[in-house]
Parts: sequence; structure tokens; C-alpha cells
Amino acid sequence: MTEARTADVRFAERSVEADGFRIRYLEAGEGEPLVCLHGAAGLRVSRGHEILAERHRVIALEVPGFGESPENDRSASMRDLAATMTEAVTALGIHRFDLLGNSFGGRLALWMTVLQPERIRTLVLVAPAAILPEDRGQAGPPMDPNVLSAHPERLPPRPPLDPAIVEKQLALVRRLAGPPRDPELEGRLPDLDVPVLVLFGTSDRVIPPEMGRHYREMLPNCQYVLVYDAGHLLDADRPEAFAAVVEDFVQRPDGFLVTRKSGLLNP
Amino acid sequence: MSFDHFCKITGGGWHEMKAAIFSPVSYLGPAKRGTWPVPAEPYASEAAMHSMQLSLDQFELADEVGFDWVTVAEHHYAPLSITPNPMIMAGALTQRVRRAKIALLGPTVPILNPVRVAEEFAMVDNLCGGRVVAGMLRGTSNEYTTYNINPAESRERLEEALALIVRAWTEPQPFGWQGRYYEFRSVSIWPRPVQQPHPPIFVSGSSPESGEFAARNRIRLGLAFTTVPLARDAARYYREQAAAAGWEPAPEDVLYRVAAHVADSDEEAMEDLERAEEASRASGAGATSFSRANPGLDEAAARAGYYGRDTRVQRSRLERRPLHERIEQGQLVAGGPETALKQIRRIRDEIGAGILEVIFQPGSPYQPLARARTMKTIELFGTKVLPRMREL
Repeated sequence: MTEARTADVRFAERSVEADGFRIRYLEAGEGEPLVCLHGAAGLRVSRGHEILAERHRVIALEVPGFGESPENDRSASMRDLAATMTEAVTALGIHRFDLLGNSFGGRLALWMTVLQPERIRTLVLVAPAAILPEDRGQAGPPMDPNVLSAHPERLPPRPPLDPAIVEKQLALVRRLAGPPRDPELEGRLPDLDVPVLVLFGTSDRVIPPEMGRHYREMLPNCQYVLVYDAGHLLDADRPEAFAAVVEDFVQRPDGFLVTRKSGLLNP
Repeated sequence: MSFDHFCKITGGGWHEMKAAIFSPVSYLGPAKRGTWPVPAEPYASEAAMHSMQLSLDQFELADEVGFDWVTVAEHHYAPLSITPNPMIMAGALTQRVRRAKIALLGPTVPILNPVRVAEEFAMVDNLCGGRVVAGMLRGTSNEYTTYNINPAESRERLEEALALIVRAWTEPQPFGWQGRYYEFRSVSIWPRPVQQPHPPIFVSGSSPESGEFAARNRIRLGLAFTTVPLARDAARYYREQAAAAGWEPAPEDVLYRVAAHVADSDEEAMEDLERAEEASRASGAGATSFSRANPGLDEAAARAGYYGRDTRVQRSRLERRPLHERIEQGQLVAGGPETALKQIRRIRDEIGAGILEVIFQPGSPYQPLARARTMKTIELFGTKVLPRMREL
């Protein structure tokens, strides 16, 4: 079982200047760069990211306006913000990279990919908020771990977020997120030939996992995979399952459908 | 909960009771008894072919006389049941049974490939025009030896497999599955089930774990190889759990399986049964069934955790009881039509079951009444008992 992987991965906190913002990020591991974008609750790395860092250089960027960073009233749109985040990656000296985004970060990552597809090797969307049910209320994303996670007992203890920070982050998300279905974004998907992996947890109570089928429908090179018994925070709920499928996809997006697991029991 | 109270919460009034006929499709030829797996020596292919044809005839007749369902199941490595893949039997039944639902109670899901199960159910549903009933069972403990699957993981496998099967039936886009026990990179089954969104699903609900699982997932409940008192408690627990999950099972969501022998009179029925018991004792087949035929294996499966929280009760369900006790415990409906109806009413009243599934193999399953006899019983049940079950 993969639970046996216990390598002690430590993420270092650094920052980079891009587009007039000072952007904080967490980094661990060596290898091909895997850039990660967080969801509306802010920057976090999970056990899933730790496992990925055993074979990749994982860089988890903090979106300006999140966490301790000053309020971001400059980014005018997701498109704008996407350009900023790509510039941050450039400032790190990275040209082509694998990109992974959770939820709100998934929408952002999809925009980054649409704007500069040549720079994205593979795109992994984790419970992405890029295509949402149209009847979705304006309540904004929930913060309750019992709603976000199918296994809150597995979440690492985290100090409660400062309510002012939460409010600041949510205000930014609400201002930038755009409509549940964005014709401008969706209109560009049929021409996007970057390999995309869309992951949803079967117990996601924030975004219905069935939304995954829309990406599969519109993107010409998309795999849609359900992670059983995982909620919206699927990389924290089922870290081994998450890391295994992401790693396999990122390593060989073209051979992904053909298993390389041996069935040989007793040579 | 009293039955009156049950009627109140289910919309009042008596509910109509439906009837299913189950046959394990027993092999009616020479074979070793009292062991599992059973060696195929002696073996007679004539007998095996005849047994399958006989079962098809019985199911066809049951359909004609008004049974609402015909039911087949999966068992392995024993002459007690020669439908290791019940889907194949169901495929044959689609061509013989024109009206009744075709129930599979069921495939032993944790030992199978769930995608294949989804595909086969969908095929059968197409072949019969949307009449399939999908049982998803864990099976008896011995089945885990059959395909070398760890019985300790059976429940988790069942739960995951069921989620995957429902997804395979309902998801229009190809999808991958990153599970605990199952992993698929791309699933997109053809054909799709006729029934939308999918065929009705039953799980076996004798243990508290399965009652909870069924209630949580709004799945129907089958109670088999148990007693009326145990089934009553299990059904009550299921309804309590369903209420806690915010829904209310209908009578048709609960099935109770019972052995039955109906004759023209009580005396005749009892004589038949006693004769069958005697024959069964003489053949040494009395203690024979799947897991009970190999106590060492069952014990090892129990130690592995196959039975769950109430191991003792679950294992005692399968104990073999004398005739009168089986009738008393509601494991066997026996008598003339009037007596049978009385016993059936008790099952409905105490368990609140909307579907009575009968198995016409009293005595030892290895000593079924002769062909003509079973056909007569089906006919008698269909004409004298079934119509009155509608107005119980």
C-alpha cells in the first residue's frame, strides 16, 4: 500500500516579485516543476502535495490578495490574474511546466492555460470551479471543513484563519470568479490541445462531481477521473489516490489510459 | 413499531404484497454432499442440463401464473446452485419470462469486476425491456475462496463497487475511477440500462452494517436465510436508519425470502415435507450448504472479520432447524392455501415486507420434490395463494 511512503517533505516559504505584486509561495522537492494554485480558502499544502513533492519540484503559489498579502484591488478579472500568475512562474525562471489548480485555483489555472497553452505541459484541475451549476447561489464557497472534506479527521490541524483575511479572500473571489458558466472561457476550450486531467471526489458537496463531464465534453484532450470517497478537498481526503493518479498523468499524459501496473503475482 | 403504525407511516391501509419465485437452480444428479467446494466426481452432464431446463420451465410457469418476479442468484463450486454467473441464466430467462421482473439477488459483487457487473445488468435490462432488478450482494463467506478475495475487505469492496456501478450506468461521459479497491482509467458502458436512471437496487440487509448502508444510500433491502423475528428487527432498524437519513422506505423496498410448500391440504403438505426431510437425512445432505458445509473455512472467514458486529446472530441465521421450528420461525411457509396465507400475512405484518420471495424447495435443497410436484406447487400457489396476497 502507498501509505508506507513516509518521506519527510518540508515546504520552504519564499516569495517572488511579479506584475508589481510580491507573491508568496511554498516549495519542496526536485524534478520537473509542478505549479499549484490554491482554492478560495487560501494557500495550503496537503499530504497529497507532499507525496507529489517526492518526485516533482512542487511550487504552490499564493494568489495576491490572499493570506497576509495586501488587499488585491488591481486584478480586474480572472484573465488578468492568470497573466499575473504566469508572470510569477516566469520570474522563477520556469518556462514550461505542469500546472495544478484546486477549485477557484482550477478556474485560474484553466485561464492560464487558455492564455498561454504553449507553456503548459499538462493541466490538472482538482474539483475545479471553472464550470458550475447555473442555479448556484451567490453564497460563495463554504469554509466548514465538514462540508469541504469527506474525511475532516484526516485534515492536518490548522490554526483558525483570521476572519478579516477570510473576508478579504472571499471578497476577491466573489469579485473575480465570474458567472457559473463563462462563455468566453468555455468558447476557447474546444481548441485547447493541452492534456487535461479533471479530478472530482465522489463525495464533493461543494461542486457536484458531475460537472467533470462538461470538461470531458468540451476539451479535446481531457481525462475525467472520479476519486472515490473524497470530498472537495480531495487531495487531503485521499492523498495517496490523488497523488498516484496525478503523477501517472503528469508523467505520461499520452499513455495514461494504458495501465503499467503488472498483474504478475509469482514469477 | 406495530403494523398499524407502519401502515400509518407508509400512507395507510393494507399494502398489496408482491410475489417472487427464487430458484438456486440446483443440480439434480449424483454428487458428493456435506462439503465445499464439491468435487465434480461423480458428475452427470445430463443431470446438469436437465436441471437448468427444469428451472427455466419452472420460471416460465411462474410467470404465466402471475408471479411478479423470478429470481436467480450467484453461487460457486457446489451442486446446490449451478448458476455461478446468474447473468447468463437471466439472459436465458429474458427469452422465456415475458411479464415478470427478472431479479438477480444477486451477483456476488465484491468478488467480481464491477464494470462487468454494470455491463451485464444493462444487457439483461435491454434483453427483457427494462424488467431487471439488480441485487448487489456480498454472498456467503465461502465465495471469497472462489476467486481468492480477502473476506475482511468484502463490505468495503461492495460499497465502492456499488458506487462505481451506479456511476457506470448513469455517467454519459467516459470517466476514470480512482478508488480504494478498484481503479479504471476509462469507463463508458454500452448498452445503457433501459430503466432510468437505473434498475432498482437491492442489498442483503440482515446485518446492522448492511441496514445502515442501504438506508444511507436509499437502497432496497432483501432479507433471506433468516427468521421472521430477526428479519423484523433488521427491517425495523433499516426504517429507523432511513428516517434518520431523511427518507421512508415503501413496502416494496423490503423483500423477505422464505421456503414454501403448498399442497391442497395442510396434511398433504406436511406429509410431503416430512418425506423430503427423511430423504434428506438418509442422504446425509441435511447439514449441507455453502459456508456451513465447510466449517473450517467459515471459521477462518469469520476470524478475518467477514461477519461484522453481530457475528453470532449472523452465523446462527444459517443454522439448520427441524421442520416445525422452521415453520414457527417463519423460514418455511407450509400447508394448504389457507394456512399458507395466514403465514404469509404474519410475514407481511411483522416485517412490513412488500415482496415475498418463495423458494419451492422444502426439505433439503438437494432433495427437491419431483418435477411434476414442483410444477404443481407453483401452479397451486399461483392460483390459490397469489391472487389473495393482493388483497391480504
